[in-house]
Amino acid sequence: MAAPCVSCAGALSFRLFLLGRVSLARRQGLWQTAAASLQTAPGSQILRLIYTTVVTTKKNVPASRCETYTEDFIKKQIEEFNIGKRHLANMMGEDPETFTQEDIDRAIVYLFPSGLFEKRARPIMKHPEQIFPKQRAIQWGEDGRPFHFLFYTGKQSYYSLMHEVYGKLLQIEKHQNQLRAKGLLPEKTETKDLIGSRWLIKEELEEMLVEKLSDQDYVRFIQLLEKLLTLQCDPAEEKFVQKFRRSVAIQSKKQLIEPVQYDEQGRAFSTSEGRRKSAKAEAVVYEHGSGRITVNGADYLLYFPITQDREQLMFPFHFLDRLGKHDVTCTVSGGGRSAQAGAIRLAMAKALCSFITEDEVEWMRQAGLLTPDPRVRERKKPGQEGARRKFTWKKR
Amino acid sequence: MAAPALKALRGKSGWAPGVLRAVCPLLGQTQVRWSRYGPEFRDPLIDKEHYRKPVAELTEEEKYDQELKKTQLIKAAPATKTSSVFADPVISKFTNMMMKGGNKVLARSLMNQTLEYVKRKQFEKYHAASGEEQATIERNPYTIFHQALKNCEPVIGLVPILRGGHFYQVPVPLADRRRRFLAMKWMITECRKNKHRRTLMPEKLSHELLQAFHNQGPVIKRKHDMHKMAEANRALAHYRWW
Repeated sequence: MAAPCVSCAGALSFRLFLLGRVSLARRQGLWQTAAASLQTAPGSQILRLIYTTVVTTKKNVPASRCETYTEDFIKKQIEEFNIGKRHLANMMGEDPETFTQEDIDRAIVYLFPSGLFEKRARPIMKHPEQIFPKQRAIQWGEDGRPFHFLFYTGKQSYYSLMHEVYGKLLQIEKHQNQLRAKGLLPEKTETKDLIGSRWLIKEELEEMLVEKLSDQDYVRFIQLLEKLLTLQCDPAEEKFVQKFRRSVAIQSKKQLIEPVQYDEQGRAFSTSEGRRKSAKAEAVVYEHGSGRITVNGADYLLYFPITQDREQLMFPFHFLDRLGKHDVTCTVSGGGRSAQAGAIRLAMAKALCSFITEDEVEWMRQAGLLTPDPRVRERKKPGQEGARRKFTWKKR
Repeated sequence: MAAPALKALRGKSGWAPGVLRAVCPLLGQTQVRWSRYGPEFRDPLIDKEHYRKPVAELTEEEKYDQELKKTQLIKAAPATKTSSVFADPVISKFTNMMMKGGNKVLARSLMNQTLEYVKRKQFEKYHAASGEEQATIERNPYTIFHQALKNCEPVIGLVPILRGGHFYQVPVPLADRRRRFLAMKWMITECRKNKHRRTLMPEKLSHELLQAFHNQGPVIKRKHDMHKMAEANRALAHYRWW
């Protein structure tokens, strides 16, 4: 049992990568030498190796890679990845056929626990397509003549795409003119749902075409697609356009609604937590009540003598016209008076979600009652007096 | 580079509403200040009536906006805003401008006392007046406040422009928000500077507000001075290039 495991481990250590734009050859060398040197070499050698890595992966410096990865190389990497995946599945005692990427991630986290804060520095194992950036094959043949007719534009994929889309546009217009001439043009059908999806952003388009684009190029392209959408298209054209759209999640669906609980007397209530700055609050909202709010055992009028804080407590209820209809008991700790009021407000709003309709939840979300406030105290920086205030400027 | 593209696109019609902004949300804007919220967060809208509108009454544009908002992330509502009927944005802004050192409690109590004094003074006048005059006396402190600030707003302002090594005061039309700001600023400065050491802020402020309500008093005078200066410097108006 020991021997196969060692070989698996060997294959795995060969396959593991640190995510970052470091060349594969150098990285392989690093891992192998690191793995070998851990047993034999003195500490200074390891330190020297680490030093080189730091130099090559400097932040804010675009990785100036001159190496190109050949197709054979990428194919070999993919084969090795698949083999490594099967080994990993065997090691974890799972079925190699149904081993997904999430399973791989979980296995790596289990086998190589890392306490590093930078998520990108932790060991990962992903498909080579996601690690090696897409590169284009050589664009010209042996005689030096380029394959694509738009090669000399410099952005052949972009211009050929524009050409294609414009061709489709002209075709549809011609077809529609013909129909209109015969009088067979169908009436305008319902508008398509444009809200559930968004256009590709410029970075995504660049990734798709494997080419650098300028802002104007991108804008012109989206303009053309919009024009295509305004004309009625066949399902084939729609499918073509859908390639350039990504779906957008509906935010209210992400809101977690607490389940309603029942206490000994049979009253329905719902509990929820809220935080603001360093204040933590937990609110228990009863479905039927008379509008009494108890904070840390005391009445809210005594706990919050300032009107602004009491207005914040009242806000979620007043917004939904349920001012005297619920009883609330909350506990709060930490923070200052305004932070505690904000924390209780968030907790109450979240707890209220269990008793109201979906539309009302969406209204509360749009009024900003269900978003935790991320603003915290900004740290003081060295060389300045405070977070933003600089020292008095002296001429000499 | 991005700005000309934006200008060209703005002229195009036939775009679905909001597409340009959806496609290029940051076109034409340079981000200087950073915030804890990402750039995709939108400001919250706290207006009960807006959400209670029945679906049949909405226009196409509003329906589209409503659907679009469902996919957007919204910032948290600030601690100073509520859906209460007593919440007034002008009063809140004025209170914030009066605040010193972050002492909102004190600023708000001063504001409340000011409004109370205004109301008391008006009621005294009301009870002392005869029948016809009683109809003309305004007793709601909020209307007095709003009207007073509106009366103090300058129509035209002066801007120092550097030409040939000298700064000239050039008359310039002011935006609405600048006018409101100037009115509030003048009112507060006046009440802080030109009062007796023993008079308190609410008393002085209520006095000034009532005077401004009747188009009298030092703040109105300052507004007229600004207008006269602008009229005097009319010849320099062509120094303005925007």
